[in-house]
Amino acid sequence: MTTTIATALQFFLLALAPLFTGTIQALKARLQGRRGPSPLQPYLTLRRLWSKSTVAPNGAGIAYALAPPLVAACALIALLIVPVAGRAANLGLGHDALALVGVLALARFALAASAWDTGNGFGLMGVARDLMLTVFGEALLVLTLLIGALGAHGSDLRAMALAASGSRVWGQPWHWCGAAAFILVVLTESGRQPIDNPDTHLELTMIHEGPLLEYAGRDLALLQWSAHARQLLVLSLGAQLFLPHPGGFGGALVAFAIALAAQCVGLALIETAQAKMRTLRVPALLGLGALVALTGVGTFVAGVTL
Amino acid sequence: MLELGAVALATGAAVPALSGRVRAGLAAQIAGLALLGIAGFVALLGGTSAAARGGAGTGFRAGIAPAFGLDPLSGLFLALLALSALPTLIYADAYLAGIASAARRRAGAALMAAFLLSLVGVLAARSATGFLACWELMTMLPAAAILVQRRDGPVRAAVYAYLAITHVAGTGVWIAVLVLSHHGGLAHPHALMHAGAGAQTLVALAALIGFGAKAGLIPLHSWLPRAHPVAPAPMSALMSGMMVKVALYGMIRVEFESMPGRPLWLGLTLLAIGLISACGGVLWASAQRELKRLLAFSTVENVGIITMALGAALLLLRAGQPLGASLAFAAALLHTINHAFFKTLLFLGAGAFERATGSLELAHLGGLLRRMPWTGGAFMVGALAISGLPPFNGFSSEWLVLQSLLHVVRHGPLAVALSGALALAGLAATAAVTLLCFVKVAGLALLGNARSARSAAATEAPAAMRAGMGALAAGCVLLGLAPGLVLPTLASLLPGTATTGARLLRHAGLMLPGTGSLPTVGIAMALLLLTFTIWLARGFRAQDPQPAPSWACGQPLVAELAWTPAAFTKPLRLVLAPLMRPDRELDVVRAGGLTQRISYSSNTPSLIDRVLYEPAVRCALRAAALARRSQTGNVRTYATYLIGLLSCALVLLGTGILR
Repeated sequence: MTTTIATALQFFLLALAPLFTGTIQALKARLQGRRGPSPLQPYLTLRRLWSKSTVAPNGAGIAYALAPPLVAACALIALLIVPVAGRAANLGLGHDALALVGVLALARFALAASAWDTGNGFGLMGVARDLMLTVFGEALLVLTLLIGALGAHGSDLRAMALAASGSRVWGQPWHWCGAAAFILVVLTESGRQPIDNPDTHLELTMIHEGPLLEYAGRDLALLQWSAHARQLLVLSLGAQLFLPHPGGFGGALVAFAIALAAQCVGLALIETAQAKMRTLRVPALLGLGALVALTGVGTFVAGVTL
Repeated sequence: MLELGAVALATGAAVPALSGRVRAGLAAQIAGLALLGIAGFVALLGGTSAAARGGAGTGFRAGIAPAFGLDPLSGLFLALLALSALPTLIYADAYLAGIASAARRRAGAALMAAFLLSLVGVLAARSATGFLACWELMTMLPAAAILVQRRDGPVRAAVYAYLAITHVAGTGVWIAVLVLSHHGGLAHPHALMHAGAGAQTLVALAALIGFGAKAGLIPLHSWLPRAHPVAPAPMSALMSGMMVKVALYGMIRVEFESMPGRPLWLGLTLLAIGLISACGGVLWASAQRELKRLLAFSTVENVGIITMALGAALLLLRAGQPLGASLAFAAALLHTINHAFFKTLLFLGAGAFERATGSLELAHLGGLLRRMPWTGGAFMVGALAISGLPPFNGFSSEWLVLQSLLHVVRHGPLAVALSGALALAGLAATAAVTLLCFVKVAGLALLGNARSARSAAATEAPAAMRAGMGALAAGCVLLGLAPGLVLPTLASLLPGTATTGARLLRHAGLMLPGTGSLPTVGIAMALLLLTFTIWLARGFRAQDPQPAPSWACGQPLVAELAWTPAAFTKPLRLVLAPLMRPDRELDVVRAGGLTQRISYSSNTPSLIDRVLYEPAVRCALRAAALARRSQTGNVRTYATYLIGLLSCALVLLGTGILR
């Protein structure tokens, strides 16, 4: 029964993904003293884009045409791999944390290939920066997942969520280290300040928006939804692996909802307080995160407790 | 079967050499390799079931007479050799036909067969003499095959570097094998236990250097990006696809079978060297502008990943985790198999591009997917597979390596666990750089518009070349879908843990007891179905979009403004500036106040070359200059030397030091 509810919620989250982006934008506007758009604005944008006709750059080929469906499929699969409140039915996709990393990488490859296909300099600039950041971001992501997997004796996300439940885990220094490092993972993967500025509309400063520049209509809608889904994905991982939640399903579900909302508020606060940092400085920040995560691994193996 | 196959392969070498009938020779080679592949499979499958009962295949002999035979491990490598070399030979049929000179065609076919025969010999050798003889042949024959086709200055320099490094380091192989056979360690795996720690350390170190140099591990990798690119395409495919694997086979033989002590330092060293090779190899690969050189550097990376998994296996064996160790060992072997498939494919694809466009400079290719759909499609599969992306084979083996490193972190003492975590992060970063590197390759070679006139006029490769590449691409897909079918067999090959492999279930996906599971088929099906469904849902209106120029802030798009290979990797190079310092040359010609011509070139040499090889070469040259000063050419000087030597000897004899 619980797995059925969890799986239904997984599909519900697919539809809910844009809401989180909208909420963060609305909160940010309030914090900055603006009225700002409604939290539902991303849905309105998606609807508008879906009804528009498509324009494709001259000479673009199959990689350009295939990227939006493939990226959206990857985002969908990734969201279905991640459980809800530590539960999910087996849809034949497994719940492996490292498989998740591979599926996200495939989406990245597809988008980067589309940028090469259009030959657009801004797209390639964004992709080149994104892939450079990923080199460090992926190392950090895998290290934080390792911390989760150490407690769970395996890389199954359901077991990892269960191992992170309860209050005893918060007596372990490695869990604190993992949570601290995961903040940086959330910022990197969701493309938020200080790493990327999601509100920028200046081509030269775009990272994640760059390769989307050449898309229009339904293709753009698919890619925008994928970006929302990706952000929700890391928020969901953070809620289940590194934020407090009880072991029982009902309590975990409530804690999951609260954790998602709390992370939205946190992101809005960080975005308001922080300016974007120089892109070439970001790897040092992520390296610091990796160091924290490695310290966590060290305390786990050494058996240090608080 | 083994003898028959070898005879057919030898016939395949003799026919083109003596009679000039290249096609007949290639046919004999294909038949011989097929037979050898079957022999390998029989030894592998028959042997693994026999291993569970306590005896497996033909063991090494102690004597001096050359002996040949197979056991499961060599059977696996032999089967892999056949699987990756058969498509290469089919490809070579069309490739060699494109070489204008008949003599070069004949020599190319004959030397390829001889090289294959030497690889088979190393794998099947069952005595020290046979092994060392075939090992030396395996080193020499590629040099001959390169020099037959091209012998201009840079090529000769590359071949010289290859021979110098592999021969100097290759003494390690001789030392390891001879010391082992002196102690009887070849025939009896536990004999070295009684030989003392000194002999064990000597054998382990010598094998690490000797086989490591041939496998292309940093810092002895320097020959690989020089020699692999200058060979003809089928030959460089075999060198990168199989020769480095045969070196790894030797390393596994010595470090796993003949090293009963399993010292901690050996596992950690393998892990560290593997990590450095993986990260360094892919970083310098990403900085290359020439396709085959880039692929050669990426071979260094993949050998590094395999070595990391081997190190993890040793560390887990020592930690008393036979299941984890056999998984790590299986991960190493699976990545070996996968790399043989996709790297052979990529080298063959590079050869086809060179044939079609006359260049391997990435900046001169472009848009080839449209003009060469079959070759380009197969190459794209290879690029996706090597980037470790689902649903292709590179992903499953990298996933397995990550899982085995997770075991290392869980079960090791503090230092081992931390190095395991570091290796895990390093492997993740390596995978990300590989993605960057091969997006660049695929983008520059296959996508967008043609970047040169010859690339715009490229035509599809002949049918035989397409067939060879297609078969390898199919292998990449199949191994990506069902890696779990081979996993139990591979896991049972780890010496001493034959029964733990049997505990693994034979499943299409990777199901590891208690640690994680990767349903490869489910993910592949979901990817295919969802992408297709979304494609349909996007509607047919979107299928026929309005064309418009690409956005460049309103400026017209001209070819000179197109992105270059160096621009794409610039962010990474800036961040890692201490490791990837480029050499730049800017030459501006001015006349009458006007700039007439600007030429610019930049090159990112390997850091190891700069800090290790260049000083070494400088020292060697300086020593040679000093030595030359003593060679005056004057008879009287030499007479003085002789008298000096004689009096020295007399003094030594007189004082009783020399007897």
